[in-house]
Amino acid sequence: MPHQFSPSDLQLLLLEADAEARRLVRRLRLPRAELDDIRQDLLVDLIARLPAFDPERGSLGAFAGLVLRNHATRIAAKIKRAREAFGAVPVSLDEEQPGRDGGTRGELTAEEDGLSAWLGQPVDAFAEVERRLDVERGLGLLDRRNGALCAALAHTTVESLAAQGRGSRSGLYRRLKDIRLALMAHGLKAA
Amino acid sequence: MTRSITKLPAARLRLKEIDLCGWIGQAMPGDMLEYHRGFLALDVTEQGTRLAERDRAELVRVARRAWWAAEQRLVHLVQRRHGPDDYSYLAIARPKPRRVSASFASFLLQEVA
Repeated sequence: MPHQFSPSDLQLLLLEADAEARRLVRRLRLPRAELDDIRQDLLVDLIARLPAFDPERGSLGAFAGLVLRNHATRIAAKIKRAREAFGAVPVSLDEEQPGRDGGTRGELTAEEDGLSAWLGQPVDAFAEVERRLDVERGLGLLDRRNGALCAALAHTTVESLAAQGRGSRSGLYRRLKDIRLALMAHGLKAA
Repeated sequence: MTRSITKLPAARLRLKEIDLCGWIGQAMPGDMLEYHRGFLALDVTEQGTRLAERDRAELVRVARRAWWAAEQRLVHLVQRRHGPDDYSYLAIARPKPRRVSASFASFLLQEVA
């Protein structure tokens, strides 16, 4: 029969999870904003493993301590792997910025300084409209044959078109280069 | 009596076709670019010896692209004479034509048809 947990048992689990989460945040020098997430991760794992608790083999505190430590070790390893992959300094969007009246990094970072801008995605709505107008103007200047080539290249490759007999590979690349230069002269840059 | 023959000034490739296209694309109306200095008709001929073959071939592409841009009403082409057989070939940017436009969807529909 599964062990029945009293409110004081649950209080003990919450306290143990809180202590382990604080220890982990301190040890890994994580921002304070991470504390709640880590505490929740630890608690969820602990609750999932509670059916395995056997009071004859030890106290609830000892069981919880062991489970929490194991999971904390897994979380720490995951964070270390992420740091090795993406840099030594962890940055969280939920991290409150000092002297900014409780605003988090996510709230205070402008779209132009964000990850999407860093990855080359357009973030300026006006620039995007201008770009679309430029594209339409550039496309309007292409002759029917080159327009058809652009449309075909939207879903296939030069190699496939050459294989379908729509021109030699070198000829298609020459046309493509010419289209690129023409669009560039009309103010369009390669995406 | 032998008359002295004026030595042709040295020519060199100033920019490539892609540079010219990039400049045309970014130039404001009235901006001016010297895309060649020398004697273009002579410098693009295979018999001309003023440029290396690779530069000569690129100059042919630059000159053709400048002419194309003028036909597209993107630039005015003018030349300034400095001396015998020595000219500056200039491109002057025009306002970009805005009246021609087409959507990519129309090309895709043509492709499907």
